[in-house]
Amino acid sequence: MSRAETGPARLYHRTVVYVLFIILLLPLAGTLVYSLASSWSATILPSGFTFKWYVALWSDPRFLMAFGQSLLVCVGALILSIVLILPLLFVVHYHFPKLDALMNILILLPFAVPPVVSSVGLLQLYGSGPFAMVGTPWILIGCYFTVALPFMYRAITNNLQAINLRDLMDAAQLLGANTWQAAFLVVLPNLRKGLMVALLLSFSFLFGEFVFANLLVGTRYETLQVYLNNMRNSSGHFNSALVVSYFLFVLLLTWAANRLNKDKD
Amino acid sequence: MSFVSVEHLQKNYASTAVFSDINCEIAKGEFVTLLGPSGCGKSTLLRCIAGLTSVNSGRILLDGHDLVPLTPQKRGIGMVFQSYALFPNMNVEQNVAFGLRMQKVNSDDSHKRVAEVLKLVELNEFANRYPHQMSGGQCQRVALARSLVTRPRLLLLDEPLSALDARIRKHLREQIRAIQRELGLTTIFVTHDQEEALTMSDRIFLMNQGRIVQSGDAETLYTAPVNVFAAGFIGNYNLLEAEDATRLMQRPINSRVAIRPEAIQLSLTGSLEGEVRSHSLLGNVIRYRVEARGVELVVDVLNRSASDLHPDGRRVTLTIEPSALCEVA
Repeated sequence: MSRAETGPARLYHRTVVYVLFIILLLPLAGTLVYSLASSWSATILPSGFTFKWYVALWSDPRFLMAFGQSLLVCVGALILSIVLILPLLFVVHYHFPKLDALMNILILLPFAVPPVVSSVGLLQLYGSGPFAMVGTPWILIGCYFTVALPFMYRAITNNLQAINLRDLMDAAQLLGANTWQAAFLVVLPNLRKGLMVALLLSFSFLFGEFVFANLLVGTRYETLQVYLNNMRNSSGHFNSALVVSYFLFVLLLTWAANRLNKDKD
Repeated sequence: MSFVSVEHLQKNYASTAVFSDINCEIAKGEFVTLLGPSGCGKSTLLRCIAGLTSVNSGRILLDGHDLVPLTPQKRGIGMVFQSYALFPNMNVEQNVAFGLRMQKVNSDDSHKRVAEVLKLVELNEFANRYPHQMSGGQCQRVALARSLVTRPRLLLLDEPLSALDARIRKHLREQIRAIQRELGLTTIFVTHDQEEALTMSDRIFLMNQGRIVQSGDAETLYTAPVNVFAAGFIGNYNLLEAEDATRLMQRPINSRVAIRPEAIQLSLTGSLEGEVRSHSLLGNVIRYRVEARGVELVVDVLNRSASDLHPDGRRVTLTIEPSALCEVA
């Protein structure tokens, strides 16, 4: 502590922070303890601790399947959004900067319509006809792509505005680079931070998405949240183990991404 | 024959013309400056020469060949930007070597040439730094080194000093000029700062509203402005209407005249009487506002000693040599 704070004020500040911390962590800690308890019903403390719920969870083929399928849908949607959004952003900012204002509005549309409402629309559109995709993972990938758009677009736009795209491109071209070389050697490496933030944010959001997954695909291509919903009548300990596992996975991923992002400076 | 020549160059954005008929010639090894207020088209002209902006018609000849149909990659032109435009993901050495990498120069050669050019800008100890670890002046020197390493036929400098603070700016402008002389590099420099233009250039093109108003060396531009704009933009000329000038000089003058403030002598024994209205200290120069015969004139006097200072309200006399009057259109 470099700031010299007097006793009572410091105590007060710390208390506020800790209380907030506890409020946020308490449910999670409770879930964690519950997932480790062998049984815990009419007593203040659990009667014993065990890993059996985790063992049961991680050896359930249905869970592993749902986990993998969630991963696949999320990664698929994110790859699709990178492939489409990066060139789009590049073109908007380099060639048509005036379009940025319009894009900022368009990009928020996925949030303007509540998921339940847009699901109904999507069911109508893709339930039959040439694009009958309801019940397949493809509709989920497409739908998640639109949900990820605002995150991706905003984070990368901020990054693009910070690097002075036009001058960098001009400088690279005068030094002999063609547009592709300039984009890959100069612009893309400088977008890494924004891209990472965008991907993490979208991934954590999509990995926990339930409404679209349940309404558009349901049990035909079970994702993690749908599985959790379907298991709601089974043991609470088991479900707690699922929630904690899910949380740890996202935590681990965030940590790994931060590590990868932290070289150089 | 001139090395660079711009002929009837025309550039429009949508339906508004940035410039419609630019002509200029630049000799090999010459350092010329495009000087003008913002929006006069000087930067656009520079970008047209670089190939970063397309032109509507006209030719840009470099060493006898028309550049207009060529892409910027093929023009052999180096450019330094106001924002430095260093690649943030690369260190100094990688930044400077980028042009050589694009030309597929082998790594030994590239290493040697990068070291040479970094030494030229006195940054050879900074090869492993990243742009964000360096000051503005250092960044701009890296940018200069990066544009020199490919041995361009023509160097373009787009307000390279405008983002720097005054002290660094003065130092760097001498350094740029020294390097340019040493390499004998034909250079076009864009600025809105008259002091930079006057001190650095072999020749200055003064631009306004998409036209070259006047061209010539610093001496000519400073002492013989061709019109009101030139007189107003360079120096701190006193611009007088014909009738004011007639009254002041007490002889018929039938055009507007410009008088440099330092060409007017202030004394207590002359014939033209006036009164000091106000004064401001610019450092080595004291700038007075003196009213004489109903005309307010700016008079610059060298600040020799504090005892020479004329307080506001003092009666003084002015001496204006007839040769100090410059008729402007």
